[in-house]
Parts: sequence; structure tokens; C-alpha cells
Amino acid sequence: MSHPQAASPGESLISLRKVSKSYTTPAGTWPALREVDLELAAGELVAVTGRSGSGKSTLLNLIAGIDRPSSGDVVVAGARVHEMPERALSPWRGRTVGVVFQFFQLLPTLTVAENVMLPMDFCDVLAARERRPRALELLARVGIADQADKLPAQLSGGQQQRAAIARALANDPRIVVADEPTGNLDSETAAVVMDLLCSLSDRGTTVIVATHERELAGIDRRVELVDGAAIR
Amino acid sequence: MTTAYRRKILRDLWRERTRTALVVLAIALGIAAFSGVLSAYAILTRELNRGYLATNPASATLFVDRLDDALVRALAEQPGIGEVEGRRSLRGRIKAGPGEWRNLQLFVVRDYADVRISRLTPQRGAWPPATGEMLVERDALQVVNARIGQEVKVRTPGGVERTLRVSGTVADVGQAQARMEQVVYGYVTLATLAELGEEPYLDQLKLLVAGDRMDEAHVRGVVEDVRRFVEARGGSVRRVDVPKPGQHPHADLMGLLLLLMASFGFFALALSGVLVVNLLTALVASQVRQIGVMKAIGGSDGRIAGLYLAQALVLGGAAFVVAVPAGLWGGRVLSHYLSVFLNFDIASFAVPAWVFVLSALVGLVVPVLAAARPVLRGVAVCVREALADNEVRSPGFGVSAFDRALAGVRGSSRPLLLSVRNSFRRRTRLVLTIATLATAGVFFMSALNVQTSLVRTIDRLLAARKSDLSVTLAQMVPLAQVERAIRRTQGVKGYEGWIVTEASPHAGGADRDRFTVVGLPADSRMLAPEIVKGRWLRPGDTRALVANDRLASRLAGFEPGAEVTLAMGPAQVSWQVVGIAREPFSPSVAYVPLAFFESQGHGGTTNSLRLTLDDAAAAAMPAAKERLDASLDAFGVRALTSSSRYDGRRGFDEHLLMIYVFLLVMSLVLGAVGGLGLMTTMSLNVLERRREMGVLRAIGASPFLVWRIVVVEGAAIGLMSGLLATLLAWPLSRGLGDLLVTLMFRTRLDFVFEPLGVLSWLAISITLGVVASFVPAWHASRHPVREALAHE
Repeated sequence: MSHPQAASPGESLISLRKVSKSYTTPAGTWPALREVDLELAAGELVAVTGRSGSGKSTLLNLIAGIDRPSSGDVVVAGARVHEMPERALSPWRGRTVGVVFQFFQLLPTLTVAENVMLPMDFCDVLAARERRPRALELLARVGIADQADKLPAQLSGGQQQRAAIARALANDPRIVVADEPTGNLDSETAAVVMDLLCSLSDRGTTVIVATHERELAGIDRRVELVDGAAIR
Repeated sequence: MTTAYRRKILRDLWRERTRTALVVLAIALGIAAFSGVLSAYAILTRELNRGYLATNPASATLFVDRLDDALVRALAEQPGIGEVEGRRSLRGRIKAGPGEWRNLQLFVVRDYADVRISRLTPQRGAWPPATGEMLVERDALQVVNARIGQEVKVRTPGGVERTLRVSGTVADVGQAQARMEQVVYGYVTLATLAELGEEPYLDQLKLLVAGDRMDEAHVRGVVEDVRRFVEARGGSVRRVDVPKPGQHPHADLMGLLLLLMASFGFFALALSGVLVVNLLTALVASQVRQIGVMKAIGGSDGRIAGLYLAQALVLGGAAFVVAVPAGLWGGRVLSHYLSVFLNFDIASFAVPAWVFVLSALVGLVVPVLAAARPVLRGVAVCVREALADNEVRSPGFGVSAFDRALAGVRGSSRPLLLSVRNSFRRRTRLVLTIATLATAGVFFMSALNVQTSLVRTIDRLLAARKSDLSVTLAQMVPLAQVERAIRRTQGVKGYEGWIVTEASPHAGGADRDRFTVVGLPADSRMLAPEIVKGRWLRPGDTRALVANDRLASRLAGFEPGAEVTLAMGPAQVSWQVVGIAREPFSPSVAYVPLAFFESQGHGGTTNSLRLTLDDAAAAAMPAAKERLDASLDAFGVRALTSSSRYDGRRGFDEHLLMIYVFLLVMSLVLGAVGGLGLMTTMSLNVLERRREMGVLRAIGASPFLVWRIVVVEGAAIGLMSGLLATLLAWPLSRGLGDLLVTLMFRTRLDFVFEPLGVLSWLAISITLGVVASFVPAWHASRHPVREALAHE
């Protein structure tokens, strides 16, 4: 499966202009991001680093359309995400952005294969009979095809995260965002997961990884956030 | 209780305010049902006795030949007599306009201005009735379909037909509801009786004893003295009635009905405890870390458990406050309904304090008891485990063999699989929710099953009675005379002449044990009862007796093969019991062969007719009755009453209506508790899975799809409860129906399982599931994705 609207390497796929995001809490208004400008190209593997509370997750949420900016423009794969109505965001996200979470967040009542097939069900990108073969192919790609019919609770943390990556790839999105994907894994398993994410960018997928770790092998760029501002 | 402690209790509940409100509402429903029935019980028992006793009900009634004033005056002077009054009652028939003839019980009072025993209360129109006028019991006006001022035709036992004017209505608390009995109670003077062609005399002595009126032995002693007094003066006493002192004839039935209702009210309250279990289990589970922190800073298990049990107490207290007005209103409505059913007035709806105290006690204790187990289990968690990360602490779905088996169930729709499997994640909660809702289903199906079964039972009873029309004659007449009249009557297909009399198991018997004896041809074509023991009458039998099951259960010794001696008039007659016939909802009856009466010199006579008609349709009955009356009149035979099979059916239906209403109301209350339980469960499920909803949205599920997943889960729970209710309904509704009918009518049901009930309840429970999950699903679908993902 290839991206239907694959951008040429180097072409801007994600564009953030003067994006700010503030949260109102009982303690007052808290700025999570301050006037961030960012251009990411297709096929890039980008690490977003910074301390806890620096705005990494907020940045990923804005790119994935999970959250909306307080001000500024977020344009992802040609879509002005900040202007999209809520009902249009879910299907757009399902097709365009794959999301990987720190705690895997596989749905516990579905088997691993069913978890991978779920985004295909949501977005109807494949005929029903093609979905399981596609899920098995993705699981094979991440090395856990033999776990396809198990429930997530029967898998190790590393296996669950690989399943989560397979799920993120279900609809062959142009972008994968991963929020601390190795934060809950031992170093050996974390390396395997990072290798997987690197291999995605090799195939033309833009991968944005939020992480505490400053030194990551294989990344194309690093965006560092300090108190909500991008310093490089 | 410290301020911080109190604030935590209230703020935790406030934080969960929607679910708190649902649980309070469910407990309130239970308390309202319980307190409503309890207050109705308090009102009705007090008012029934007060209203009934206020009429000065007779301690006893003696039926004599003819009363003269001197006897009454002399009796009044006798020791042991408080009050004495003469009365008379006759059976006849009444008709308003072109309507159907109805059976009439006509009461004759000498002086309406001086009624001291079994008093009547004027309701509307004139009082007292003038000559040529008649008062009608308030409930009976609709039976005869007349209005005040209207002229009605009255036919006396002597066959005389006169027109009387209905001048007003009275309340006669001692009479059963006219609609149920399908009898019109009328009240006239002696002068009116004379106008009706009857001799104007009285033949009943109503007594009010002096001394302890509530002591039945004392009453019977006085009655014996009066009997001897009357007989010493040359009179004869045909019969004596001594009712239970101070007790309305229907008081036992009402007490039983209310006891049943109170039991089910308590049951509804106990079920609402399930919601408390679910809410507090979820609350404690969501606060495990807080519990760990409280323990780490010195909180003991007891103190922390007290915190959560106090929340259950607050829930119960809030529910009590909400429930009391509803309970009082419900109690008032129920009291009114039953007072109409029992034909008495309620002077005061005041509810005694003990009702409030008991309702409060039960309303507070039930939630605390329900909360005890989940709270004690929840707070028993060790500090280390409580402070661990949620993901580490909770093993989640997929660990048990059941989970894995469930995962083996495949389907082409992952959202549907998600809905169905999600419903099994909190299995204790699921079981409690399904059980609560299934209980309502069992009651609902029971209501329909019992109704259908009652109809079937009555159908079978009436099917055993082959006659279309029953006619009671004013006296014994030669059968040949009746035959001539019937042969002249158009549309009569067949007939039999029976002899109906009374008997008592006691010598000189004249009390509540009296029952009807029916003499009929041993090869009768008009009756073919279901024989449950022994056999039916056979040609050649003379002293054989078949008792119906009511008689056999009431009096000892009525078993096939046994010999019983009965007092029949002045004679003692020995009988061989040969069989027991099943006659549900019937009074006590013994069937004997007509040959016995022939052997006693009553051969060829009859006082009761059974007829079959060419056209047995309900619409044809009034005309058939008219034709038969005219023919009998022409041959000098006086018909006292006549009843078609449809009249009998109407009476049964009126009696059984309260059972249907009771079961339906109970299923409504339980259904509401079950629905609220399901709503609480869905709300908790959604709350606990908020992050998963966020994940679903993050991987492409639209808000509508998330909504649909939750709603389908609710529908799946509804379906499961519907299926469970269906499985349980067969044995339970049969048991429930038998319990109700055995307690109230001392009979059992011909049980029928109504398939419509299953289909209806499946539809209702699925709809309830959808409705109950609608709002939680809407919230789940609208929750911002980022917040949902951040939810712990």
C-alpha cells in the first residue's frame, strides 16, 4: 500500500505558524505552547524533546487534530486542521495520522488483530475481506504476527507497543505521531520500537516522536521545546 | 465527624452528582414504594375499622319467621342486648329503561330516622325514601345503569312487577362492592314493600350485644339466649349469622393484599441497593490511590470505611427526603383505590409517625448494608498496591479464561465486538444490573402470564358449566310446571331442574361454615366439573357427595371414602364423599344426586334451573331472559334471579382486576429501578473507559460511532437481561401466580406462559438499554479527545 497523495521528500507536509496554546486551570491560565513556527517535510523522522510539561504532547496533539490551538495556523497534509469541524476531524485523523501512545492504549477487549483492523473499520479504506490480511501483514512487519489472535493483556509491553504501531499504520497514514512511545519500555525493547519508527520514515511516512531522551539514533531533526517555545 | 471528613463525603458525592442523582432516585423509588404501601396499610386498617365500626355493625343476625313489635321491644329489655332492630331482605330483580334485568337485593328498614345497627349513610338525593321510592347503594347505581330521579322496574319474589323511583344513594359499608358482586342493593320502607305486593313484615333480628362486642364467644352466648327467648315465645329461628366481631368482611383479604404489596415494596428497595453497590464499588475503585494516601497519613481501615459508608447513608437520607412526598401520594392513591374496592369511605388520610420512622430506618439501613461489602473490600487494599500506577495495579481484561473465551467469539464488525465484549468487563456490575432489570422483566411477564392463566382458569371453570343461563326460583315448584313453561319458550335448547339448598357441618348449624348443596341429576348435561380426586356422581347414587376443592380445603373430613354428617334444615344427613371437584374462585359447594331429594319426598320439584340456548351470544341474553321470565310467569313460576354465563364472567373480571394492576404497578416500579440501575452502570462504564473513548477518537472513530458503540453495549445488556428474565419467568411467574391466587382465593392456576410477554419484554429491555445508555453515550462522544486521553 502506498500513500495516495504521497508528497515528494523534502516537500513541506506539516506547517505550524505562530501556534500558541493555553489552558485555563483553577490556578489560572497556563501557556503550553508559545508562538511555535514549524515546518516538517514528508518522510522526516523528527524528535520533539523537552522536559516534562514543556509542551511536547500539546504539539503532537495539535498536529494530530486531537487538540486545537488558541491561536495560529496548523496545516497538515494540506488540511487546515485548526479550522476543521469536530465531526470531520476523526475520519481525517483516521486516514492521515497514525497515533502511538506511551501506554500503548490497545483496546483490551479486542484481540491484537482486531485492534489493528479497527481503524480500517472506522475509515472504510479497504474492503471488509481485505482487512484481516492487511492487519496480519502489518503485524508481521512489526514482528508479532504470531500474537494476532491474543488479547492485549496476554502480550508483553514491547509486543503491545509494536501492536500499537501496527494499528497506527492500519490506514497507511502519511504521518505517525508517537508520544513517548518508549517511555514505558526497557531499553532493549525501546531500541526495537525506535528502529520500527525509523523504518517507517524510510518508507516515506513522516514520523514525529515526543521523547525525554535527547540522544536518539537515526532521527532527521530534533525540535526542542522549553516552556512551550521551540528553541531549535 | 470532622469538617474535613464531612466535606470529603459530600464533595465526593457532588463530584459524581449525575450518578449520585440516579442512585438517589432509584433508592427513592424503593422507599416510595415501601412507604406508600406502608402508609396505605396504616390508613386502610385504621379507616376500615373506624368506618365499619362507626356503622354499628350487627353482632349477629337471626333469621326468624315473622317479627312483631312486641318481640323486638321485649328483646331490647333482655340482659346482654345492647340494641335490637328488625330488618328484612329479599331477592328480586331490577331494570332501568330498556336495560337488562339485574339481580336485586332489597333491604327493608322500618324507620330510616332511627337506624341504630348497620347504619346507612345518605350520599346523594332524598333521605329517607318515601313510599314508592327506593334508595340505591352508591356503587350499585352503575350496575343498574340508572340515575337519581329515574323510575326503575322492580320484580319481587312474588312475581309482582312495579315501578319505583330512585330517590337517592346511600353508603352501606357492610356490603361488598356492587360492581364485583353484580348485584344492585336497594333500600325501601315497609309501605313500599306493601306496594310491591309483599306482606309488610320484617323477618331479621339484628343484634348489638351489650358488654364486649369483640368477644365472639360472648356474642354467641347472647345469640343462644336470644334464640331460646324467641323460641320460648313460639317463634322459630331459621338461621343465625355471626360475623367476625368488629371486622369488615373483606378485612382479611385487604390485609393480605397490603402485606404482599409491602413485601414487594421492600423488595424494590432492596433492589435499589444494587445501585448503591455499583456506585460505591466504582467510587472506591476510582479512589484507590486516595485510600492509599489516607492510609499512608494515618487513616485506619475503620475510619476510611466509615467515610464511604457515610456516603451510603447520605444517599439513603437524600432518597428518603425525595421519596416521602411520593410515598405519601402513592399511599393516598392506593388507599383510595382499595377503599372504593372495599366500598368504604376514608375520613382521614393522616399517616401515623411509625410509618415515617420505619421507612426512614429501612431507607437508611438498606443502602449502608448494600455498600458494606464493596467498601470493606475496597479499603482493605494495602498502601503499596494502592499507590502503584493504575496500569500496574489493574490486570485488566484478558487475564481470565472467560475473557479469552469471549475473545474467541468472532465477528465481522469490530465496533459491535467492542460493544458486546465491553459489557462483560465489569462482571459483578453486569450481573447485578442484569439481575435487577431481569427482576422487573419477571414481574412484567408474570403480570401477563398470571392474567392469561387466570383467564384460562376461569375459561376452564366456565367450560365445565355447560348452561348458558341459571335461574333461581322463588320457591320449590313442580318440575312439570316448569317444563310446560320452558316448552313454550322460544330458543331454549335444553334444561335441567336442580335443587339448591344449604348445609352446615354442625348440628343446629347456623354460622360461617354454612355452604351450598346442589342436588342435580347424576348424569347431568349442565355440569361436568374437573374431578381431582375420586369420581363424579353416578346414576344409582343416593347418598354420594362430591365436594368442590374450596369446601374440601375449608372443612376437615371431606376426602373421598369418608363419611360426613351434615345438618340440612332440621335433619342430620349422612353422606359418602366420593370425589373432589376443582372449581377455582368458587364458594364452597357440595354436589349430591337429585335422587336423594326424591327419596326425601321432593321428587319432581325444583328451585333452580339450568338452561342451554340456541343463541348463546351475550347480546341475545337479555331477550332470552325476558322470554323465559314471561313464560315462567304465565305458568305461575316466580324467577328470583337469573344470571347468564357472561354475568358470572364480569364478576370474576372485576375481582381479578386488582391482581393485574398490582403486578403491573410492581413491574413498573421495578422496571424504573432497573432502568436507573442500567443508566448508572452505563454511566460508570463510560466514565471508567473515558480514555479508551479518546483512543477510539484518536484512531479515527467519529463521535457518532463512539456513541453507537456505547448504545449497542447498553442494548446488549438489555438483551441479556431480557433473555435471563425469559428463562426465569416460567418457573417464577408460575410460583408468583400460584402464591397470589392461593393466598387470596385458595385455589391454583391453570398456568399459561404468554409468548407475547417474552417478545414485549425483550423489546422493552432492549429499548431500556438504549434509552439508559443514550445520555452516557452522548457524553462519551462529545468529550474532547485530548481530555479523554488525559483521563485517569
